[in-house]
Amino acid sequence: MRDILKMLVVLTAICAVSGFLLALVHDVTREPIEYSRLKFVKEPAVKAVLKGYQNDPIKDRLSILVGKDKKGKPVNLIVFPAKKDGKTFAVAFESSAAGYHGDIGVMLGVDLASKKLTGVSIVSHTETPGLGARITEPNFTNSFKDKPMDKELAVGDINALSGATLSTKGVVAAINNAQATLNKYRDKMVQ
Amino acid sequence: MSIAKEFTKGLWEIIPPFRLVLGLCPTLAVTTSAENGMGMGLATTFVLVCSNLLVSLLRKIIPSKVRIAAYVVIIASFVVIVELMMQAYTFPLYQALGIFIPLIVVNCIILGRAEAFAGKNGPVASIADGLGVGLGFTISLAVLGAFREILGSGTLWGQGLFWEGFEPFTFMVRAPGAFVALGLFLAAINLISAKLEDRKRRAQS
Repeated sequence: MRDILKMLVVLTAICAVSGFLLALVHDVTREPIEYSRLKFVKEPAVKAVLKGYQNDPIKDRLSILVGKDKKGKPVNLIVFPAKKDGKTFAVAFESSAAGYHGDIGVMLGVDLASKKLTGVSIVSHTETPGLGARITEPNFTNSFKDKPMDKELAVGDINALSGATLSTKGVVAAINNAQATLNKYRDKMVQ
Repeated sequence: MSIAKEFTKGLWEIIPPFRLVLGLCPTLAVTTSAENGMGMGLATTFVLVCSNLLVSLLRKIIPSKVRIAAYVVIIASFVVIVELMMQAYTFPLYQALGIFIPLIVVNCIILGRAEAFAGKNGPVASIADGLGVGLGFTISLAVLGAFREILGSGTLWGQGLFWEGFEPFTFMVRAPGAFVALGLFLAAINLISAKLEDRKRRAQS
């Protein structure tokens, strides 16, 4: 009996201490982990769509509450501001829309003064290799550059891919979604 | 045995994974480059030293019937700490090592040292043992990684080594290359030990 009790107490104590320690480490590393995840996963896309900034857009990122998901958890839009002399002149954020097969995630940069796209980069997609997957090619993404963000973009405005109409439409729809987001949250983005 | 002896034995006498043939899974999987091998070795060393110290401190408190469970909880905690730290501060390395970081939990070297050494010896000797075996493991993995990287990608530490147009022997950075490289190293270590023993015997007679 004494043996069993001792085992119980010792194991429980070890587990409790270890649980406490892990919670502590988790708390301390949460911020840096979020930063390095964004840094290594999102920064290449942000760099591709924003030019001429002097700040660290990852570090200066803003989280804007845009609604709730089905479970009632808040959904945040992460905005990467590009600053020059301390003032935000452009922002980058992600937008998505359905393509031919699943959602296409697009990172886009918008110049706030001229309301034009500074660049577009595809961050996630599951389009058909060789057909729809060509949306990631510079030939396609570069054709979005300098397109206005204050009126709806049509497929005819850009270098549409033949044989991948639905994928092309998906990217255009994602940009148009982003226009709505931009109009709605513009004030919060420049803070 | 003295503390220094406990430390140095991990560097040659029982150097893992060549002498103490344990922990082969990460050895084969992550030694595609010297940097990955070294990172894996250092992460393992950290966990090994910490778990050895704690196991040795608690060795009189932990009842022998539940000692394995207690060791595993201790080891797993340190592994999670290493994993979180790597994600926070060395993300590219974390991405390269991937699943093998959490798998340090089941690395036989760590449980093996806890059971065979730290559970029976004092804290100072246990730290020396953990450091020695851990560094031995790190050196082995780094050397193995360097060997495979030089042959398989023609680079060392990410720096190009050979003339332009050098065709790397990509077989060496694939999985079968790991077995071949490990086999060659095991053979070399055995050959050297046999030679050394032979010389010792001749000196005696």
